[in-house]
Amino acid sequence: MSLAEPAALPVATSAAPHLHVLKRFTNRFKASLPAYLLLLPSLVFLTLFTYGAMGRVLVDALYQRATPRAPVRFAGLDNIAAVLTDSAFTGAVVNNLVYAVGTAVPSIALALLFALALSRTNAVTSALRAALFLPVLIPMVAASALFLFIFLPNVGLLDYYIGSFLPVLPNWLGDSDIALYAIMVITIWKNAGYYMLFFLAGLQAVPEDVMEAAHLDGAGPYQRLRHIILPELKPTFLFVTVIATLNAVTQVDHVFVMTKGGPSNATNLVLFYIYQQAVEHYDIGKASAATLLTLAALMGLTALSFRTMANREGGG
Amino acid sequence: MLFSRRLMLGLAIAGTLAGALAFPALAEGPTEIDLFFPVPVDGKLARDMGTLIKEFNEGHPNIKATAVYTGSYDDTLIKTRASIKAGKPPAAVIMSANFLLDMQIENELTNLDPLIAADGTTKEQFLGQFFPALQGNAVINRSVYGVPFHNSTPLLYINADKAKEAGLDPSKPPQTWAELTDWAKKLTKREGDKVTQWGIAIPCAYDYCGWMMETLTMTNGGRYYNEEFGGEVYYDTPSMLGALTWWNDLVTKHKVHPPGATPGPAVSTSFISGNAAMMMLSTGSLTYVRDNAKFAYKVAFIPRNVRNAVPIGGASLIVPAGQDADKQKAAWTLIKWMTSPEKSAWWSRATGYFAPNMAAYKTPDMVEFLNKNPDAKTAVEQLDVAKPWFATYKTVPVRKTLEDEVMLVLNGKKQPKEALVAAQKAADETLKPYNAETSLKLP
Repeated sequence: MSLAEPAALPVATSAAPHLHVLKRFTNRFKASLPAYLLLLPSLVFLTLFTYGAMGRVLVDALYQRATPRAPVRFAGLDNIAAVLTDSAFTGAVVNNLVYAVGTAVPSIALALLFALALSRTNAVTSALRAALFLPVLIPMVAASALFLFIFLPNVGLLDYYIGSFLPVLPNWLGDSDIALYAIMVITIWKNAGYYMLFFLAGLQAVPEDVMEAAHLDGAGPYQRLRHIILPELKPTFLFVTVIATLNAVTQVDHVFVMTKGGPSNATNLVLFYIYQQAVEHYDIGKASAATLLTLAALMGLTALSFRTMANREGGG
Repeated sequence: MLFSRRLMLGLAIAGTLAGALAFPALAEGPTEIDLFFPVPVDGKLARDMGTLIKEFNEGHPNIKATAVYTGSYDDTLIKTRASIKAGKPPAAVIMSANFLLDMQIENELTNLDPLIAADGTTKEQFLGQFFPALQGNAVINRSVYGVPFHNSTPLLYINADKAKEAGLDPSKPPQTWAELTDWAKKLTKREGDKVTQWGIAIPCAYDYCGWMMETLTMTNGGRYYNEEFGGEVYYDTPSMLGALTWWNDLVTKHKVHPPGATPGPAVSTSFISGNAAMMMLSTGSLTYVRDNAKFAYKVAFIPRNVRNAVPIGGASLIVPAGQDADKQKAAWTLIKWMTSPEKSAWWSRATGYFAPNMAAYKTPDMVEFLNKNPDAKTAVEQLDVAKPWFATYKTVPVRKTLEDEVMLVLNGKKQPKEALVAAQKAADETLKPYNAETSLKLP
């Protein structure tokens, strides 16, 4: 097809310019047709299950039922306004921010620590790596059900071990000041081992010769970490941060199993709020509006971080 | 050419997949129906349900019923609604009795009157089989929408060994709030500031919390909601204020009740392990307690402040709207079979719920069982003072407005009065659209 192009070119120039553009477009389309055809099966399913659903959410967010028996009417941006003024939603956003920072930072720090400690491969580190990775293999729902019993006041495993050191035994999941942190502990426990894998992979990429040179120059362990290892791990950090943030918004299994957002909305996260609007309030309009807002925030965040990543890789 | 061969392969796979999705195997033979069932309390209900449905299928060769486990009461409502929306509702659902009104308002229930009439019985005869206290949640606008399947009332559970240890007589359980407070004080053990044994525990998690508030409010003379109309709740009232204040006093003033919001399973575990000497919990947990308690226990009526009264709990069998006629008929056969005296009695013995069908208590197996387990009688006796479970437009969010505030009180964040004012305001806001369409829609 590309061989035929020069011959066709003079004819095209003599014709109207827009025809030229059209022709080039058709040619390019022809060239990429097999690619599109190959993509077609997955496109069909993406459209059915991803883009179609997103489109549906967009439409649903614009409509509202005023009363149970009234027909659905066009509401414009009313649903979005209602969500933004709902104190339960703003509360969930604040909770989610606390939760995101409070789970991402410790789990990444722990993951880095584990990876540095276990970067050399031998029988002991392999066993420890496996042990640290184990929580990743347990489904979140099962883990939450287990922690429900670990957190039982007075009779749970946690109070059994640390109860005698505390002045009063806290109601871990029933106290609105503590519940969110109890939930965060599970997330950290579950995700640190997963992020460790990325850091282990990142550490393999640290050039051996640079490390040796630094060693010969008399750089201590801290200097090597500060000036060689951490800069080399920057892309890994960025990637893991994105993953951790996405997890903070998309994982609510433990909230569902352990607290249902309670007590008094203390552990309510954005995704659980959406669930409540959709199924408890039976308010599809408001649920869709909240979904749209969340999607927009997530897409913005992802775009921003991937651009930063691309810049860094281009510059590096 | 290379492309096209791969393309063909890809298309072939896609085509097969699409075909498999679009044309499910056409079934013939017995009418296949699904029954959605929740497991709301402790114990091995799911296995018992399997046994029950297997027996039904063996006795009814032209119907093939499948029991589908759908989680808690709230989850079951969600899944039923999702399946109605998807156009594939189950033929029957064991639905929390207080969701029926909300579903009827949303046109999601099948009116059972024609099915009753087709059997040649009257509504009165049909309903007459069941305890009168259960009818309030099954009949809406004088039409039958649900058949009571397993029901409960809250009970006071007492660790009899601990009571004796504290010099209390478990055969004379506390009958008033004053006596209960006194018992709870005597049953609380402390080491310095730390409590090693709580006098009493009352569950408070979404769903249970509202039910316990209704219980306490009723024993304080109150009503919680308007039984005749789904647009009103009575949160900011003296009877509920007294109830919440007493609960709060048990936590903060007397320090005999664990602080914060404790879900039902945590309360029953605490009782079983001896950490709480008394608890208020559903009769549905009775079998679990009987099987697991390593001590002598006693069950009693919920103590009163003004009067003896408790709400019913539990579930009814419903037929979701939008079901084919033959499946409706098959579901009706299943429902009648499951609520018959023998099956009702069997299920009651297996779970601890009481049997809604009064004739169940006349079956020989049940008479023998009650002689062996007199504690199962208490729930039935308490039925004399039982009243319907709160049911309003949007029951769950309306209930949650109260529960969130009660949890704040139990966590020491709010005083009872301001909490109830806030709960009333939020509930009124949720009920507004329904009132706009009914009580405030004026000619």
